[in-house]
Amino acid sequence: MKAVLEIKNYTKVYGGGKKAADNVCLTVEAGDIYGFIGHNGAGKSTTIRAVVGVLDFTEGEIYIDGHSVKDEALECKKITAYIPDNPDLYENLSGIQYLDFIADVFRIDGNKRQEVLKKYADAFEITDSLGDLISSYSHGMKQKLAIISALIHEPKLIVMDEPFVGLDPKAAYTLKQIMHEMCKKGTAIFFSTHVLDVAEKLCNKVAIIKGGKIIDSGSMEELVGKKSLEEVFLEVQDEQ
Amino acid sequence: MNNSMVLLKNLLRSTSQWNQYRHTRDRRKKGRIIGNFIGYSVLYLMLMAYCVSSCIGYGKIGIAEVIPILCAITISLLSFLLTLFKTNGYLFNFKEYDMLMSLPFMPGTVAGCKFLYMYVKSLPWNLSISIAMLIGYALYAKPAVSAVMAWIVLSFFLPLIPMLAAAFLGFLIAKISAGFKKKSIIQTVLSFLVVLFVFALRFIVEAVGRSGRIELVLTEMSGYIKDITAYYPPAAWFSRAAAEGDLLYMLLLAGVSIALFEIVFLLVGRNYSSINSKLKSHAAAGKFSMKAQKSRSIYNAIAYKEFRRMTGSSVYMTNVGMGELMALILGIVILFVDVDQLLGKMFNGVSLTKEMLYPAIPLVVHLIVGMVATTVVSPSLEGKNFWIVRSLPISGKQLYQGKMLFNMYLMVPFSLFATICICISAAAPLLTGILCVTLSFCLCALSTAWGCVCGIRHMKLEWENEIEVIKQGAAVMIYLFPNMLVSIGMIVLSVFLGTKIDRNIILAALIALVSILAAFCYRRACSLAEK
Repeated sequence: MKAVLEIKNYTKVYGGGKKAADNVCLTVEAGDIYGFIGHNGAGKSTTIRAVVGVLDFTEGEIYIDGHSVKDEALECKKITAYIPDNPDLYENLSGIQYLDFIADVFRIDGNKRQEVLKKYADAFEITDSLGDLISSYSHGMKQKLAIISALIHEPKLIVMDEPFVGLDPKAAYTLKQIMHEMCKKGTAIFFSTHVLDVAEKLCNKVAIIKGGKIIDSGSMEELVGKKSLEEVFLEVQDEQ
Repeated sequence: MNNSMVLLKNLLRSTSQWNQYRHTRDRRKKGRIIGNFIGYSVLYLMLMAYCVSSCIGYGKIGIAEVIPILCAITISLLSFLLTLFKTNGYLFNFKEYDMLMSLPFMPGTVAGCKFLYMYVKSLPWNLSISIAMLIGYALYAKPAVSAVMAWIVLSFFLPLIPMLAAAFLGFLIAKISAGFKKKSIIQTVLSFLVVLFVFALRFIVEAVGRSGRIELVLTEMSGYIKDITAYYPPAAWFSRAAAEGDLLYMLLLAGVSIALFEIVFLLVGRNYSSINSKLKSHAAAGKFSMKAQKSRSIYNAIAYKEFRRMTGSSVYMTNVGMGELMALILGIVILFVDVDQLLGKMFNGVSLTKEMLYPAIPLVVHLIVGMVATTVVSPSLEGKNFWIVRSLPISGKQLYQGKMLFNMYLMVPFSLFATICICISAAAPLLTGILCVTLSFCLCALSTAWGCVCGIRHMKLEWENEIEVIKQGAAVMIYLFPNMLVSIGMIVLSVFLGTKIDRNIILAALIALVSILAAFCYRRACSLAEK
């Protein structure tokens, strides 16, 4: 399978010399649902923000579909979607205005836009609320809107930071279905989560990060064997 | 539409009151938006009326030809200073940075659009001044139609050069401070230094302009204003284009503005991502060890929270703390100045003694310190964190009393310091000094309580950028103008009365008046807080 995301020796050092990520290497291929797990402050969000071009990094290289995040940032962003853990959306736009803005940026034509938006807004049951200001939305509704906005341009890589936080059970189920559907089409998904049960059932690959270092990674079957992901996670965390 | 236009349109729409009016179902919110619109319209009209009447004054004394230069200088100075205060919050470290930078925009595009957003937002103020001064100028100079057209077109370009200069300074400040561990403090200190330098520059230019003609009289004013164009050529270009309809100067001003925009945002774009990365990310020290913790009263705990909120934001700190810093400088400088000589220069030919001005001392200090009270902005600055204070087992009254306490902690020491220093320098008698200090304290209380009333009544929790609350909020406007007008009015009245009545009686009357007003505002703030 073709590598969509390649992180090679990625290192992020903060001002005081503290390493938030230390020589991180991983590869996400087309069709992969890749889980990224670790304690709070382990370096998940720092890595994710570097992947999507929001955060500069000290050493290493990150490639998306063969394009360097450092040197060809625009090319990378055109084929990537990012859903942050706590999306800061424009509160004083209506839901549809926000989605239109994202669609304009990605140059999605009117018909295609309407088709995609209707499909996902209906799936997440927020079509009726799209005319309201985002400031009137609940956290879950904002999360749904951020997810829909990420799917508009049919990205090759979807990067999500804790995507299930705030979603109701039905929306979480819908998101999982969409992730499978996107995966079948060849999209690569890389996401962080603390919900290990979900990761175990959903992902075909996983990486565990601790103190900025990848301490274990590989296919879910190889990594877990006959144990649960929770057991493996706790074991490797304690070993290191 | 290219991506820059898409982003700019979206930035403007996301803070547009009209957009909120169209989409909200909340009737009270709709009412507030209409109220804001009326309030701002009145402010624009007041500003225009002031500008037109000033120009009529210049026309009457026969110096109408300097109006275009004055217009250019006024707009340029205002644009420069206001942009300098806003750049930190608008261009760097803004809330939706992650969202925007993950979209396919070049860093320079994001920075450029943020700048253009600032420019468009300030346009109503700049156009109000420019159009009003054009009306005043047209009454006396009868300019040709082509000159009027040039004036109107160039009004859109006039703020660009000073705004770009301020944005570039803001960029340099952010770049320097990004390299430090205490980024926010360095940013605040550098911003203060730049603003103080600009204020100092104004006096230096004035001193140079006055050299050789110490007694500046109205007939010399025209030449003096023209001299200023030597220091700021775009004012001369505007004047030549707008007064004479000279196309060459029109193209020069427009061309230089556009070229400068391209150069500035080429430079900013190259460093934008790395600066924001450094400003927005920091490693946790992880070295905390539990020690004996200090307990505080509810009011002091809220006041301390407010202190941490202020020091955590360089935008908040530079806007709110500027008055205090200037009062501190005024207090120190005045100790080394001969007050009689100073008054002689300021009120040349007017028979004023320093004794007559004693009642005005606390009012002048208040005009500086009371520019912005923290109570005006702190209710809105709670923003999304409002739930924290609302879910605490304290009443609304206690919450706002804590906020008021913090403002008093901040304002009173600086206010009293400046008042005492001026009293010492002006050799005020002990009783007058005590009355001045008392009035100064009462004025702080009035500012605090009036600020709280404005802050609660015009609370805006849904903001995209804290600048919207700190610099552009309805609460700030409603606080600022009456506060300034009342202060100036009281200064004029007290000086006038000082020539007729005993100064201590005036001070005592002012203490009584200000105390009553402060008590009224405090009660109003408490009752609003309970609601």
